[in-house]
Amino acid sequence: MLYEFHRKQNAKKAGTVHATYLITGTRRVEAAPSQTNGVHSRDGEDTVMQSSPVLPSSSMPRPEEAAEEPSFIRSIMLVKEEHLDQAKRALDTVASIHVYSLEANSLSDIQALTECNRKVATSYSSEDPLQAWKQYGTIQNPNARRRTRRGPPPPPAPVAKDADVKTKPLVPTTTSKKESDTTADSKPPSAKQTPEPDKKGSTKPAQTKRQSSDIFKSFAKGKTKAKQESQSSAEATPAPEPEDEPMGGFSEDDAGDDATAAQEDETKVQAGPSKKDRAAELQAMMDQEDEPMEDAPTPAEESQDAETAIDKPDSQKDEESKETVTVENGRRRGRRRVMKKKTVKDEEGYLVTREEPAWESFSEDEPAPKKIKVPPASSTNAGSKASVGKKGGKPGQGNIMSFFGKK
Amino acid sequence: MAVENGGTDDALLSKPTDTEYAVLNRTPSAYNPLPTFDLPVGERRHYQQQYADMYFARLAQLKPAAEQIASEAWSDFEIAGETPRRVDRVLDVRQGDLCWVIGTCYMEMPLKPNVLDDIGKEHWIAAPPPRVKYTDDENDQIMLEDESGRLRLTGGMLKETILVTGAIIAVIGTENKDGEFEVLDIRVPDLPRQPPRWERDDGDAAVKGKKVSRSRPKGGKVAIVSALGISGDAGDTLPLDLLMEWLLGESTGPEDQQDAATVSRLIIAGNSLSHASPIPTRQELAHAATKKGPRKYGYDSSTWNAAPTDRLDTWLAMLLPSIPITLLPGESDPTATSLPQQPIHPAMFPHSRTYMELPGTKEVSWFDSTTNPAEFDLDGWRFLGTGGQPLDDVYKYVSGEERLEMMEAMLRWRLTAPTAPDTLWCYPFQDGDAFVMRECPHVYFVGNQPKFETTVIEGPVGQIVRLVAVPKFKDTGELVLIDMETLSAEVIKIEIFEGG
Repeated sequence: MLYEFHRKQNAKKAGTVHATYLITGTRRVEAAPSQTNGVHSRDGEDTVMQSSPVLPSSSMPRPEEAAEEPSFIRSIMLVKEEHLDQAKRALDTVASIHVYSLEANSLSDIQALTECNRKVATSYSSEDPLQAWKQYGTIQNPNARRRTRRGPPPPPAPVAKDADVKTKPLVPTTTSKKESDTTADSKPPSAKQTPEPDKKGSTKPAQTKRQSSDIFKSFAKGKTKAKQESQSSAEATPAPEPEDEPMGGFSEDDAGDDATAAQEDETKVQAGPSKKDRAAELQAMMDQEDEPMEDAPTPAEESQDAETAIDKPDSQKDEESKETVTVENGRRRGRRRVMKKKTVKDEEGYLVTREEPAWESFSEDEPAPKKIKVPPASSTNAGSKASVGKKGGKPGQGNIMSFFGKK
Repeated sequence: MAVENGGTDDALLSKPTDTEYAVLNRTPSAYNPLPTFDLPVGERRHYQQQYADMYFARLAQLKPAAEQIASEAWSDFEIAGETPRRVDRVLDVRQGDLCWVIGTCYMEMPLKPNVLDDIGKEHWIAAPPPRVKYTDDENDQIMLEDESGRLRLTGGMLKETILVTGAIIAVIGTENKDGEFEVLDIRVPDLPRQPPRWERDDGDAAVKGKKVSRSRPKGGKVAIVSALGISGDAGDTLPLDLLMEWLLGESTGPEDQQDAATVSRLIIAGNSLSHASPIPTRQELAHAATKKGPRKYGYDSSTWNAAPTDRLDTWLAMLLPSIPITLLPGESDPTATSLPQQPIHPAMFPHSRTYMELPGTKEVSWFDSTTNPAEFDLDGWRFLGTGGQPLDDVYKYVSGEERLEMMEAMLRWRLTAPTAPDTLWCYPFQDGDAFVMRECPHVYFVGNQPKFETTVIEGPVGQIVRLVAVPKFKDTGELVLIDMETLSAEVIKIEIFEGG
């Protein structure tokens, strides 16, 4: 086809189309190099190779004995139009000539032809090679074994992948920035997006809520504030529709997060009775303190406010009704119960320190303890491999993390 | 339809026809890898042990074989009415006594890289270029060593034989008045037992209780290529594309395509990436030391360039649907630099990963990322291959140029990497040297060589081995095809004609 076009165009007006040919053929090659080696390296001590056997049991034919038959090599050559005749002369027999490519002018940089292959690879990456390639005439192999991917296939452009990775809660504000950045980048890998929209909708509220709780995690006194904010953001979830797109960018990682989010959803549903119980408990606690609080109304009010404030978000967030630990990507995240010290000014002005149980979220960057099995559904392919690698590769990580204390 | 030169183009170039061409199917490849060079994973891999144990293990493993060869050769050896006797330990040699002894060869070469020199030189920015050869005729000494001690060797015979540190040899001679052992003759363990074709596959089938089938399908050809040398920057990957198109049967004429369909497997023998070794070279370190600006300690992620691995991965992913691939790492590949190099991790191949089986399954992967050196059965034949480091190291010890002879010597010493651990980094094996060949391969290929060479050698009990030195694809554009039925090798050269 290309040949026809080339012929016709050049017949109409010479020199308009330039062709690059692919020639295959055979060529004769003399076994000269070994001969010259044999002649030259006879100097001095260097008799290892030639005159005497290398090893007493050596059976290799000596270069002098080896026949001087020239060996044939098959050659596949890419040739520009102007060199076609020369190339044909260089070959002894020509097996085939094909037009490899056509261009308007002679190629200045012949390596530009690799661009063609690369473009094909990226634009047709969504095709399944084992099915689709039959039409291209490639040699089929019925024995090809391929396993099914557990996660989405990687995007063709590596740039998008770099930006997607790592939603570290340590960098809270920049995560939101990154979201907007990756919006543009994550749009091209269309193949990836298709499984995502289904998941997105259901986990949207949980994700945003979780995200914002991560954002405010770094605030020291953030417990109360966090709870309030999370409550408000949870309500505001339906509003920010544009948030949907950035979420998609993290879908690859959040595939694991979805598990936590889903779990949080579940626990929220179960919350009903325990919510009421806790409310009752706290009410009882507050009733107890009513007497001493009359003397020092201000601090008492504060603490009361704080407690009520705790009450509401506590009831909202009943992931805390039970301690949860989930493992994904080698990080342990979850909620757990810790004893926290509260210092309160007493009725006589004394500072009293009380220990109260409180819930907090934690994220430990360490390999999961061996008894916890990584659920296969919740981690992507890369995730499982990374965690396996991490487990094997950093056995001492637990010791280092203990230095920093539990966060 | 090959046309002799001089014919017109019209015979070959023509309009497209309407004939339906049948889709070609590739010849299947029967592949069975051996775990000879797999190192234990995780905590079971220890580096606390001494390397001397490796030498002792090697000697213990090869002593029986060397003894047998030597006693056969020298049992009726007579000089001046004296018959030689076997001496067990190297230090038991008596002056004037004709005797023979087995030990490890050790070459004392002042030009060899020396760890103490390295530490001293670290303070100098400029690094001397690495030596091509360590040989220095005036100062080199050859010694024979075993558990008891060392014995210096002399004699004209030594100059005519290839010897490197680590080779187990049997020498006959006598001690002269200088205390040196004058060598009259040398023997090596020679080729080990060669399994007949299909032995392992038949054995496996028999163990499983399946009927051992006498008829095996005819093997096709196997393509071996080495040193693809993908670096992200240079624009020279067109030969790679041409190679891929030829292997897939997309390019060339119908005869060549049918020929390409007989290629049942592709073996990539090392150095697929050109700058991916994890250890920076001396030059890179020196350059980093002189760089101004804030020093980044540890890993500097801004210098990571994903292009080479991405390119390699997409190239492999385009080939894998059609042809199975075995990938050996090389010196410049992203895996450990000490032998045996472990397989390149699947994390480097996001696209090709689906063709690899999960770790832990017993299945053989379609895309087998394997160790260097590697031993496997292909269509019944036993293959042994390396990425080139052992041979290149042996080359530095020997004053000759013939690489095929060095390959033959390595087979006859029964050592895949004789100079490890002396000048070649390797894992400190404790229980047994994994580099000792237990069985003789049918094909021994070494990648990364300057040019293509091949020959056939014979063993004392009728073993026949095909030696193949695979040239660097990046420089020469050549790949080697080995026919599985005849074990003959041929070359295909892919090039871009530059005119003139």
